[in-house]
Amino acid sequence: MEAEALFTARGLALGYGEHAVLRDVELSVRSGEFWCWIGPNGSGKSTLLRGFLGLLSPLTGELRVAPRLADHARIGYVPQRSELSDALPTTVRELVELGLVRSAVPRAERAAAVREALAHVGLAEMAARDVWSLSGGQRQRALLARALVRRPELLVLDEPTEGLDVATNDALLETLGALHRKASLTLIVVTHRLEIARERADHVALFVDGRVIAGTRDAVLTGGDAERAFAGGRLALP
Amino acid sequence: MSDFLISWSLFWPSYGAGLVSAALLALIGIWVVARREIFLGAAVSQASTLGIALALSLGAWSEAAWAESEGVTAGLAVAAAVATALVSARGGGHGRESGEGLVAWIFLFAASAPTLLLARSPHGLEEIHRLSFSTLLGAQPVDLALLAAALLASAAAAWRLRDPLLLTALDPETASALGVPRRRLVVGVAVWLGICVGFAMRVSGMLYTFGCLVLPALVARRLARESRPLLWLAPAVALSAALPGFALAHTLDVPPAQMTVTLLCAALVVAWVVSRKRVER
Repeated sequence: MEAEALFTARGLALGYGEHAVLRDVELSVRSGEFWCWIGPNGSGKSTLLRGFLGLLSPLTGELRVAPRLADHARIGYVPQRSELSDALPTTVRELVELGLVRSAVPRAERAAAVREALAHVGLAEMAARDVWSLSGGQRQRALLARALVRRPELLVLDEPTEGLDVATNDALLETLGALHRKASLTLIVVTHRLEIARERADHVALFVDGRVIAGTRDAVLTGGDAERAFAGGRLALP
Repeated sequence: MSDFLISWSLFWPSYGAGLVSAALLALIGIWVVARREIFLGAAVSQASTLGIALALSLGAWSEAAWAESEGVTAGLAVAAAVATALVSARGGGHGRESGEGLVAWIFLFAASAPTLLLARSPHGLEEIHRLSFSTLLGAQPVDLALLAAALLASAAAAWRLRDPLLLTALDPETASALGVPRRRLVVGVAVWLGICVGFAMRVSGMLYTFGCLVLPALVARRLARESRPLLWLAPAVALSAALPGFALAHTLDVPPAQMTVTLLCAALVVAWVVSRKRVER
């Protein structure tokens, strides 16, 4: 039996004002899938993400979200690290606790959920540390813990490996792979990096010239569209 | 000191309004500091001066007594402050002026226009100078009651909405992704900021309002390790400076607003040193 669709786009156009960034998007993300969305800057990855998260209304077409995800309570989100402001003092524990905003985790279980999330990313010992005293990789893991504390069904990561060294990058991807396998978490990883799609994902959406070519990894990455996009130097090669 | 305590019986509405507005502004100021909109605090305060100047000039031109009534003056002060806060909440966009540029424009316009509007009205000019100078004297019991109600409402809202507010300030993109109604929250706080600053401005003037809006939150930010304690720490810092500030000002026969703001500036220097030492450890 086919898994339930969490998001379905049919003939979807998304953009800002009258300007369509993406057109004719046909894409269905099903429960338990590991998606990589790859494409160059400005290709519409973040636009589609905003559409999926309900932050942008379709210009035309249809975008269906599974009812149980409509209130965002079971969605975890890891932004690009540059989105985090240092204007307020924040410990790792507080950062993770803030991830419980509008979550479905019962109040009585929240302290335990924070401890679990920190332990899961290996930051249990650093709970009292200031977020800005952490290394880039540790901060990225703290952001991942903030997403995991919601006990999400769907985890969305926007350029999670940007600026990380090779070892940290591998460790993070290993953690994501384990989450996908053990917890049957649905994952959407937005990235420039082709090797993540090749080595980790089971589904790929390739963003090229305002279109989205989506399907199983092998079908998308071995097609001519992918080759053209990479040959043009518009995506980062492994 | 005993002289200061004796003066309470005469000046309690002014002292009370000064203390309550210090706590209120400090609480709201956490949002201003968290969103790196410190200059907005000055622009909103200055805009409410323009609102008051409009009411006074309306009274001078129309010679209608109602135009200079407390209600009209307060209404225009609050309306100007709210409008400024809302314009800045809208921010810049493609083909539009940046939020920072707009705030600078409002500040400069609101600083110049009142004097031009009231150039031929000695009473009006005196009032504008009083607001710029921040005398703190002249508050009425009704002002104290309004500010106390605003403080209670702000504290209740801050407690109830603290996590969505902090997440929106720290990481607005994630707040939206997690279902926080970010736009409504930002506009709501902007309106409330304008109302509170507009009220406080009439009572305590530009320097005191702006000082209490940003300095306690800046001090608290340096002393605290987490964001949530700022909700009580910033008002506590404001009161810890305002109370001795009023007493010292009375003893030395100097203006209380300036004394309080100077103490807050000194507290910020101490907080910088403490914070620096902590980082070095």
